[in-house]
Amino acid sequence: MLIQIILLAIIVVIVWRLVAKLTVKELSIKQFVGWLAIWLAAAVVVIRPGLTVWIANSVGVGRGSDLIFYLAIIFLFYMVFRLLLRIEKMEKNLTQVIRTEALKEHNRHE
Amino acid sequence: MAMIVIIPAYNEALKIGGIISAIRAAGDWQILVIDDGSADQTATIAEMAGAVVLRHRLNRGQGAALKTGVDYASRFNFETAVFFDADGQMDPAEIRRLVDKLGQGYDVVLGSRNLGRTITMPPLRKAVKKLALLFTRLTTGLKITDTHIGFQAWRVDALRQIRLDQDRMAHASQILSEIARLKLKYAEAPVTISYTDYSLKKGQSGWNIFSILWDLLIK
Repeated sequence: MLIQIILLAIIVVIVWRLVAKLTVKELSIKQFVGWLAIWLAAAVVVIRPGLTVWIANSVGVGRGSDLIFYLAIIFLFYMVFRLLLRIEKMEKNLTQVIRTEALKEHNRHE
Repeated sequence: MAMIVIIPAYNEALKIGGIISAIRAAGDWQILVIDDGSADQTATIAEMAGAVVLRHRLNRGQGAALKTGVDYASRFNFETAVFFDADGQMDPAEIRRLVDKLGQGYDVVLGSRNLGRTITMPPLRKAVKKLALLFTRLTTGLKITDTHIGFQAWRVDALRQIRLDQDRMAHASQILSEIARLKLKYAEAPVTISYTDYSLKKGQSGWNIFSILWDLLIK
């Protein structure tokens, strides 16, 4: 089907970009393997959509796309949570930098 | 007795000069303004009026500015610190009252509008404050008649111990829960807060309670 060809083409481009990033060392081997696994899994699912139905049924969910939907929501919630924590930490660090600078600046004037 | 008045200020060029003069007239104490990344002439005017000025290069919020002032007071070994607002809601003549009360053996004296007299508080704000007071009494167990008021006098030795890392408005709640946690000796003193058009425009809207709750819950 056309959608499979389009999705596969996109995945090929993404994997090619991953390899490029690996060769210029923007990605570590560990990161590369992780991302590669994710996109290869995506490719497998695109080629054999029946697989998701089989996995979904085996955990008690009716349709493969439903399972993916559920997992995606859990994943996104988790990512948002982690991002919030990280932003909070960055904000606190930033405040500390600004504060240190303000106090230091003042000492210079004295 | 070395005493310092700490004033966080963000874009208060219109008011800050007059407030500093009034505080200087009210007593002999050092005045510290933390210019929290203002875009206007707040810092210059404050300096000309005779305050020591610390500048935050970026706006970090009232809690963050207050903490910078606390660090300064602690570093230069002040004995007493008073928190004061830059928007003209508070009366400099009342600083003395808080400090006198502190001298009776307390770690901190909190200003209370309900012991004093509040001039024209809008109804929505009144309702929000009532809720906040109830919430604070329940969560901290402090027996206070008012809450979230920035007019406070502190022994710097006690102030040093409190954790103050809520950068934005939630710092007011944090201060109260720290007082409860450290079992500090606290008292209240009546203060008069006047809600002018200027301070209302500069201040928080009643809906801000949601963002404060968010800060308190998430962090």
